[in-house]
Amino acid sequence: MLKTAAKWSVLLAALMLTLGGLQSAFAADKPFAENKIVLQISDGDPDKQELVLNVANNLVKEYGTDKVQIEIVAFGPGLRFMFAGNANEGRIKNLVESSGVTLHACSNTIANMTKQLGYKPEINPLAGQAGPGIVRIVDLVKQGYILVKP
Amino acid sequence: MKQAFKKTALAVACAGGMAAAMQAEAANWLMLQGTEPEAAAGRAYVWGFIQAQYQKDNSKGDDSGAENTYVPPMMMGPNLTSQQGFTVNRARIGVRGTGMPIDPKVNYFLLAEFANNATTSANEGSTMISDASITFNHIKGARVRTGLFKYPGAEEGYQAVQVMDYINFTEVSNQMLLERFPNAEFTDNNDSDPATAGYQNPTLDQARRGDLNQFDKPVGAFRDVGIQVFDAFNIGGNGELSYAVMVGNGNGLNFADNDDNLDKYAYLSYEMIYGGEGPKREGLKVFAWKQTGTRLLDNTDDSTHNPEEYDRRRSGFGAKYLKGNWRATAEVMKGEGMIGVGPDKPLFDQNGVVSGSPATCHGSGAAACSGADGSEGKAKGWYVEGGWYIPNSNWELDLRYDIFYRLADDPGPSIGPNVGKSFESVWKTKTFGVQYHFNKKTRYTFNYQARDVETPDYAADTGPNAVMDNIGNRWAMQVTHVF
Repeated sequence: MLKTAAKWSVLLAALMLTLGGLQSAFAADKPFAENKIVLQISDGDPDKQELVLNVANNLVKEYGTDKVQIEIVAFGPGLRFMFAGNANEGRIKNLVESSGVTLHACSNTIANMTKQLGYKPEINPLAGQAGPGIVRIVDLVKQGYILVKP
Repeated sequence: MKQAFKKTALAVACAGGMAAAMQAEAANWLMLQGTEPEAAAGRAYVWGFIQAQYQKDNSKGDDSGAENTYVPPMMMGPNLTSQQGFTVNRARIGVRGTGMPIDPKVNYFLLAEFANNATTSANEGSTMISDASITFNHIKGARVRTGLFKYPGAEEGYQAVQVMDYINFTEVSNQMLLERFPNAEFTDNNDSDPATAGYQNPTLDQARRGDLNQFDKPVGAFRDVGIQVFDAFNIGGNGELSYAVMVGNGNGLNFADNDDNLDKYAYLSYEMIYGGEGPKREGLKVFAWKQTGTRLLDNTDDSTHNPEEYDRRRSGFGAKYLKGNWRATAEVMKGEGMIGVGPDKPLFDQNGVVSGSPATCHGSGAAACSGADGSEGKAKGWYVEGGWYIPNSNWELDLRYDIFYRLADDPGPSIGPNVGKSFESVWKTKTFGVQYHFNKKTRYTFNYQARDVETPDYAADTGPNAVMDNIGNRWAMQVTHVF
């Protein structure tokens, strides 16, 4: 009996951990989201930053906060969008906090920029930094996200 | 604490490349001109603007046709050869941004002038670099800008000129702040030869008219070469406090210092922000500024090149309000030292020029002489202006009143027939303006200026009033396009 209880405990613990892990990976997942969009920003044109924000905003307005899940992935010259202190930081913070938009900053680009600058650029603390941006996009597309590059 | 430091606005943060706004706004010119949107600026943003105008001065010289009747306030600058005409008064192209976009801490600003105005006419219409600066944003609360750029000061001079709501500056800005530098050698102000005189005789043909414009340097254009420390801070949510301190050569657009002295500038502003961002920001701004420096001036009509140092001090304070369709501005200014009295050449002493002033006093420094000398004289002035953007239209109405006291508190000559009669002159101007905004970057401006100039201590048509009484009204039309 004790062996059975232990076995069930281990299974239960494993289940909890898995669910917890899943939850952290998809922490921002909205259960009722019918539309999932990944917005790519990868060029340095400063107008693109405003365009990405406007597109994200329009998507939220069109579908409603609970019905759309948006992630913005920045890599290459577009990574500036996720620098701490970016001029658009206020709008970015608002989208994250009020509309559940998630952010991903490409780890490869961060490493390259670190080499060029001689120091690691400070990234917006709201952005995830695990993994290359293009890989993140591929993963999200596999999960049913639509890729949009404004 | 991090949030207390002002982030530069993304939308149209270029004072020069004001892509969105054609109206003069309650903008923070200090930040708009010196910084770029952090981590959101291009490597090289090319921009510029063109202003083309027609101006007509209705002043009438002395009907007798005598000499010395058409003075520069009656003439169209900068050439001062006509009372009316078309011109391209400004045509500038510039580039600004951040040379290494992944490092948002360094930005630059470069601007050149190609048109016909007082910055280019001294060099016979050549191109002038009007701005060339680099800003370092490494230290929170103390950004550093160095190079050639607008010094922090009066609102009229500090704002981006292509969004100024009027065609001509107020007299206090034009005469007291828009600096005309002394010529290298003594400038004769007593030349009565009609062929070369500073004042034209309208009956003479063009070939015999003298060169009215005898400046050998460009005007200061509210700029200096130096280094500035500045920043802006969010205060209590809706407030913004800005400061700037600067030292510069005190030689305007001329790159080198010429007198081994540095000018000092200080500026402080506070704005209660109502809403909006960048140039379209609405708010109530109050500001104060001060400039001190010295100038070398050879003020003696002798065979010796003997320039002396004269102090030059300017200061002012004001307020600007913008909300909805309404705008209002008011500013008070004063100056001491290097008060220019001759807009056709860099004169700082009226003696010998103006009727009633003893010619023997000119530059003599004699104890018996006093008055009419701006080198150590005073001036002051103020203006109020307002604008109303007519709702649901592209039209705007503007109104401005400005008054300038040149040689304020002048004691008058202590010898001669007009002992004690002050040479203080009072310049009152009412400007009525209409603007039509074709789009955010293009507008048409019409101004009509009613001018009243007099030297109160002299009777009408006597002494300085013999000429000043004839300074009449003028009007101008201008189109501005920003690209």
